[in-house]
Amino acid sequence: MATVKQVEPRPAARGGAAGTNLPREARRAHRRRRLGSTGRHAALAFATLVFVVPFYYVILASVKNSNQIFSYPPKLLPFPVYLGNFKELLGQTQFLRWMLNTLIVAGSVAAIKVLIDSMAGYALAKLQITGKRIIFILMLILLMVPLSALIVPLWSLIRMLGLLDTYWALILPALANPLGVFLMRQFILGLPSDLMNAARLDGMSEFSIYWRIVLPLIKPGLVVLAVIIFTDQYVSFIWPLIATTSNNMELLTVGVANLHARGGVNFGLWSASAVMSLVPIAIVFFALQRQFMSRSLTGALKQ
Amino acid sequence: MFFFFVLFLLVPVVGTFWWSTRSGGLLGATTSVGLKNYTTFPQQVDALTAVKNTLDFALLSVPLTLVLGVLLALLMVKVGRGGGVYRFLIYFPTLVPGIVAGLIWLFLTNPDFGLFNNILHAVGAKPVVWLGSNSALRTLAAVDVWRNAGYWAIFFVAALIGLPQELYQAAALDGAGPLARFWHLTLPMLRRILLFALVVSTIFGLQVFDTALIMTAGGPGYATTTIVYRVWQYVFAYPDEIGLAAAMSSLLVAAILVLTLVQLRALRSRRGLD
Repeated sequence: MATVKQVEPRPAARGGAAGTNLPREARRAHRRRRLGSTGRHAALAFATLVFVVPFYYVILASVKNSNQIFSYPPKLLPFPVYLGNFKELLGQTQFLRWMLNTLIVAGSVAAIKVLIDSMAGYALAKLQITGKRIIFILMLILLMVPLSALIVPLWSLIRMLGLLDTYWALILPALANPLGVFLMRQFILGLPSDLMNAARLDGMSEFSIYWRIVLPLIKPGLVVLAVIIFTDQYVSFIWPLIATTSNNMELLTVGVANLHARGGVNFGLWSASAVMSLVPIAIVFFALQRQFMSRSLTGALKQ
Repeated sequence: MFFFFVLFLLVPVVGTFWWSTRSGGLLGATTSVGLKNYTTFPQQVDALTAVKNTLDFALLSVPLTLVLGVLLALLMVKVGRGGGVYRFLIYFPTLVPGIVAGLIWLFLTNPDFGLFNNILHAVGAKPVVWLGSNSALRTLAAVDVWRNAGYWAIFFVAALIGLPQELYQAAALDGAGPLARFWHLTLPMLRRILLFALVVSTIFGLQVFDTALIMTAGGPGYATTTIVYRVWQYVFAYPDEIGLAAAMSSLLVAAILVLTLVQLRALRSRRGLD
C-alpha cells in the first residue's frame, strides 16, 4: 500500500474523510494513468502510421509493373517483386550521376562550411575586431533570406564569374548562409576565455588556438552543423535547377524533376526514382539520429 | 566566411532591389525604369494571383503544421518506451526533398489508382479530384504539413521538457485538469517558442515552389502558381520581365526581413524582462 501512496499522493492532500477511501481512489487513478498511457501509445502509433503510409505506398508502386500499378483493388503486399523500374532508372537514366553530384556538392558544402563557420564563430565570440557588432547585426537580419528570393542577381553574378553549370555554381552561394556562424558562436561563447588567454600567454598564434583548442572542444557542435548543412543541400532545388544546364551536372532533385517533366508518363520509373532518392539520406539519418533531431533544436539554441 | 556572406548574400539582396528598378531581359541590355515595376504591379493580374496563392497557402499550411506539431509533441513527451521509433518515423518526412515529396503525393492523389481514392472507393464514397483548380492548393498545403509537422514536433518536445515540473504538480494539487493545465500553463509558457515557430514556418511557407512545380506545374490554370514559381517563370520563360521578377523577389525579401525583425524584437523584449 505504501507504494500505491507514493504513486498517487493527491487524495491524501485533500485530507478529511478522503483518508478512508484512499486505496480505492489511488488504485483508480493509477489505472486511469495506465489507460492514458495506452491511449497515448495508440494515438502516436496511428499518427506515425499516417506519416509512414505515403512511403509504403510509393515503395509498393515501385515494385509493380505498369499494369499492376493501375489495377484495382491494389495489391497491398510487395510480392512478387518486379525490379524493372529500378533497372530502367539505374540503367537508362543518369540517376547515379545525379546522386553522385548531390553527394559531392552537399559533402563539400558541409565540409567547407563547418570550417569557415567555426572560424567566423570563434572570431565573433572571442576576438576583438572592429566592426564586429555591425557584421553580427547584418548577419542576424539576413539570416532568413533564402536563395530562392535572390535568383535574379545571383544568376547574373554567377554568370559574370563564368561559373554557370559547374560544381562551383552550386557550392559557393550555399556558403553564404549565416546560420552556422551563430551556432558556432553560441558554442564557443560557452568555452572559458581563460583557456585561450593562457594559450596566448604561452605564445600560441590565434590560428593554432582555434585549431588545437577550440575545434576539439566543439566537436559535437561541428557534427550537428554538418548534418544541418548536408540536409539543407540534399533537399535544395531551385538554385540547382537554374544554375545547371547540362544533364550530367544536375543534382538529384533536379534530375528527378526533369525525369518527371520530360520523359512522358511513367509511374513505375517515377516511383523508383522517389524511393532511390531517399536511400542515402535515410542511411545517414539512421546513423546520426541524435544529431538530426538537434536540427530542430537549433532554433531554440539561437535564442 | 564574411567574404562569402557579403558576396553571395548581402550583394544579391541589394542586387534584387537594384534589378527591380530595371526592365529588359536576363541576357540583353537593361534600362532603368525607376519604380515603374512597383507602380504597375497592381495591374499585373498574374503577379497578384501568385501573391494571393502564396498567402492562401501559408495561411493554410502554417497553422495546421504548428497545431499538429504541438499535438504530436504533447503525445511524444509523455511516451517513454518506444518513443524513439515514433520520433524517427515522424521526423523522417522532414528530410524528404520537396520534389520527392511531391512525387510521392502524386501516387496518393492520383484520381485512378491513388491511395486516397482507393480508400474512398473501399468505403463506398465518390472519388475526389485532389489536384483540381479548387483543391490543388489545399493538397499542396497538406504535403507541406506532412513534411514539416515532425520537425516542429521535435522542436516542441525539447521546449516541453524544459518547462518547470513543479508548476504542473502545484496545478494538479489545485485540481486543474489536463486541459486547464495545457491552456493556462503550457501555452503561456511556450508563447515565445510558438512565436518563433510561427515566424520561421511562415518564412518557409512563403517560399513554396518545389511541390507546386512537380505536382501541378502551377496549375490547373494558375491555381497553384506561387511567388517563387512566378519569379522563376518571369526570369526564364519571358524575354523581358526581369525587372518584374526582381520586384516580386524584393517583395518576398521585404516580407522575410519584416518577419525577421518582428522575431528579433520579440527576443529583445524578453531579454529586457529577464
